[in-house]
Amino acid sequence: MGETGKEEYKIQSFDAETQKLLKTALKDPSNVDLEKVANIIVDQSLKDCVFSKEAGRICYTIIQAESKQVGQSIFRRSLLNRLQQEYKDREELRTRSLQAWICYVTFICNIFDYLRVNNMPMMALVNPVYDCLFRLAQPDSLRKEEEVDCLVLQLHRIGEQLEKMNSQRMDELFSLLRDGFLLQEGLSSLSQLLLLEIIEFRAADWKMTDAAQKYYYSEVTD
Amino acid sequence: MCSFTTPEGPGPLSRCSDWGTAVEEDEMRTNVNKEMARYRRKLLINEFARERKSSSGSSDSKESTVTVELETDEVVLMRRQKQINYGKNTIAYDRYIKEVPRCHRIPGVHPRTPNKFKKYSRRSWDQQIKLWKVALHSWDPPAEEGCDLQDIRPVDLGEMETESVGSNSESQTSCQDNDDTCSGTPTKVRHVDYQAGGEFDLEVCLSEPLKDFDTVS
Repeated sequence: MGETGKEEYKIQSFDAETQKLLKTALKDPSNVDLEKVANIIVDQSLKDCVFSKEAGRICYTIIQAESKQVGQSIFRRSLLNRLQQEYKDREELRTRSLQAWICYVTFICNIFDYLRVNNMPMMALVNPVYDCLFRLAQPDSLRKEEEVDCLVLQLHRIGEQLEKMNSQRMDELFSLLRDGFLLQEGLSSLSQLLLLEIIEFRAADWKMTDAAQKYYYSEVTD
Repeated sequence: MCSFTTPEGPGPLSRCSDWGTAVEEDEMRTNVNKEMARYRRKLLINEFARERKSSSGSSDSKESTVTVELETDEVVLMRRQKQINYGKNTIAYDRYIKEVPRCHRIPGVHPRTPNKFKKYSRRSWDQQIKLWKVALHSWDPPAEEGCDLQDIRPVDLGEMETESVGSNSESQTSCQDNDDTCSGTPTKVRHVDYQAGGEFDLEVCLSEPLKDFDTVS
């Protein structure tokens, strides 16, 4: 695979033996314990936010490789079921470690983004993803900058797709965000800015307008 | 969180006890729909081809009607697809398709996957599946005794895995008695010729009605 492979899948954070295992999973999936690989990937994405941001890619490649080589989907099944397990215990996860919770949301959104079924997003993940985003929109989470940051990042990446799958829930979510922005106490100014930006972003049909670009992303010179 | 619907989605997910299964069913459903579209197109093309032929004077009709009613009930199609998958997910099937490419298949000799889009009663369909799977056993990997798979000889029922041994032994023994159908060609694969005609005549091969089928269509 070489250095570009490592860089692409961001597996540098794994120890040498695990890296080898992952590389084999990518090239020759029938010769590895795919359930074990799925668990390794999920465990890592709960610890390493950089990894979880793009972990969907490596998962996608393993799934394709397994499907092509043996026509099965053991890896995908193990991955999804482990994801579901963590989802069921997400409140405890958040209590235990805010960082791990944020990593989890990042990971599940990335999976939703990358893994498709016949070119359609996975239906089974739509509501769970929404549930996670709704959690991030709760008052106690809005008071934490890292959670607001996570929330808006995910909406930038998958908001448009998510809305197509269920626009009613997206309306409800943004209703919460608007209320949060206007009424919530204890919001840092950065959080307020992030919320305002995402509200405008969606209002502009999930596109960046020139005005928004200028306002949020350029240096103010006057 | 065990069952939910997405308003713009295709409807409630059936028995979604876990995401892995839910996604697999999703995938099966979209695959079946794609196949259905492809099959309809094929039928349409055949229809045009036949109309062209008959308008030029040759009588060619195998079927009296051009429009054939297809099975469209998703529940039925998914169930049938699952049954087909069980049969295809075997070493025997793997060996079969490697050994006999589709272009070299001889109808009536080589097993053919039942067509899930055609209308059949439940009983008829289940029987087609059973016989198809039995036929595929000819391609089972050699057992320890070193039996040669190309040799067609009276089947030792002890070696065969079947869902219902009772009904199989009936079909085997009654066919052994019937000289017409049992000379040379293996009895178990002969049963697949019905597919060409579309009608399955169970009574020809069985002297006793099979006990394990429900009569619900």
